[in-house]
Amino acid sequence: MNRQFGLALALLLPIVILAGNAWLHYQQRIAGESITFPIEGFDPRDLLSGHYLIYRIDYGINDNGNCPTSDIAASLCLKPERRIYPADELPQSCTQFIRGNCDSSARFISGLERFYVPQQYADILDEKVRNKQGKLVIAVDQSGNAGVVDLLINDRPWKEIVTEE
Amino acid sequence: MTGLEKKLLTWLDQGLINQEQLTAIGQYERRTGKSNSSHWWLYSLLILGSSIISLGIISLIAANWANIPDLVKLGTAFGLLSLLAATTLWQAETDSDYLYDALLTAFIILCLAVIGLIAQVFHLNGHWYNALLLWSAITLPVVLFAHQLFAYFLWSTLFIHAATWGAIALSSGSFSGNNAAQLPALFLLAPLLAAGGYVLTRLSQHLKLFRSSFFFWFQISGLVSLIFIDIIRSGGEMRSFELDWYIPAYIVAAILMTMIASNPAYRPLNKGLLISIILLLLLYFHPFILFDGETRYSFNALQAPGETVNFWTADDIRAPFLTILILFLYATHAGNIGHHRTFNAMTFLIGLRFVILYFQAMGGLAATGVGLILSGLMIIGIAWFWHKSRKRLQHWSEGLHE
Repeated sequence: MNRQFGLALALLLPIVILAGNAWLHYQQRIAGESITFPIEGFDPRDLLSGHYLIYRIDYGINDNGNCPTSDIAASLCLKPERRIYPADELPQSCTQFIRGNCDSSARFISGLERFYVPQQYADILDEKVRNKQGKLVIAVDQSGNAGVVDLLINDRPWKEIVTEE
Repeated sequence: MTGLEKKLLTWLDQGLINQEQLTAIGQYERRTGKSNSSHWWLYSLLILGSSIISLGIISLIAANWANIPDLVKLGTAFGLLSLLAATTLWQAETDSDYLYDALLTAFIILCLAVIGLIAQVFHLNGHWYNALLLWSAITLPVVLFAHQLFAYFLWSTLFIHAATWGAIALSSGSFSGNNAAQLPALFLLAPLLAAGGYVLTRLSQHLKLFRSSFFFWFQISGLVSLIFIDIIRSGGEMRSFELDWYIPAYIVAAILMTMIASNPAYRPLNKGLLISIILLLLLYFHPFILFDGETRYSFNALQAPGETVNFWTADDIRAPFLTILILFLYATHAGNIGHHRTFNAMTFLIGLRFVILYFQAMGGLAATGVGLILSGLMIIGIAWFWHKSRKRLQHWSEGLHE
């Protein structure tokens, strides 16, 4: 194979893979169904980590519907009933779900527990999330993949709030 | 006047070379030496410049990212990446290796920055080693086209770190960088992985420019691991291991031993030495075969009446013994294959470990005048022994054959 052609392919590979990755996330964000969940900080030391907020999402699950055990792949069924199932036991009747896992504390982790914010607004948003004023808008597709869309503070986009303050 | 010029004048005075040879050597050194030195500086500045430009653009985006629409941010990043790729491709046709490598290095650094940008834009949750593993996979073909070692060194450095932490995270479930309990598994895996990479580069000509980087990391991580486990074992720590955390290291060790055993470049002696070192290292880190974390010879006096500690079963005796044995085997291997500097470093470390062992066993003596005199004599004695025996040991190891 011509060396120049090989180099061109090698240079193209990361661009294509990264662009494809970004495109998939973008598609998931715009095509998925939007759902809003309240969020809350769970550990004052860990809530603000550098340039992102980490929080716990309140999926509105009752005690009976929580993680059946720890350290397993799991799915959170949203419709018709909010309940967590082991990934391979998700019933056919579940029409909307989020893939994730149950961690060592038997808590459902969906991978949506991080929201990047600019450093200058971090403290303001941190305080508001601590005060339980935060909500997370996510987009969920048919395959159970979910992505973060926006952070709401008092039901308004966070950018509006920080602009006012 | 440089060291070489001084030496040349001394050789001229001694009649070892004539004036004509001195002039010829001087001219040659000035020509090649200056050329290499200026290229080295040029290359460093080009790499530095390209990296700073990339970081500057990223910082600009990072500082204002909340006000820039996502598509603009991503579009700019991919536009820059494509521009850099096109420039690298164009530069590959010219004669300037250094500029080509600087662009190629900037390209792979920018790939890492774009991974970070995608994570930021879409609020992705993930660990740094996952991002680095993705980066390693997608930039490997690019790095294989580099002419200078820097890109290979950068890639292998990040890959070894990401693969080590990633593998431990996979085997331990919820790995956290703050969890010191998993450090032994990390320290065992790192040198094995680097050694595996090194042996792999010896098998393929396409990977030969990675060789020195993997070898560098093997020696550094191997030494750090040995010091780490020696301190921990001698101190009687680490009674609660999780054997699962070691699974990646055991898998890599098995692959590594197979590669060494099947490598025709190694003589049976070297294969035996290297495999023995790996087995001893695994034994050293193993949770309970050789060490129980409780038996210490230094604390013999603190044992309950009637309870004595056997010298050979004590953790703080077995640990230095294993360290010295591993260093000795590696020194023999290095001496045998003609790696004189490694051989000297290993034999020096053996001497150093003996001195430390002396202070471990006779620490109380250092508090007295006589004890200090004895300690000083011990150090001088070891230095003298090292100086006298080193050459003999080197000749012996070089003479070892099938």
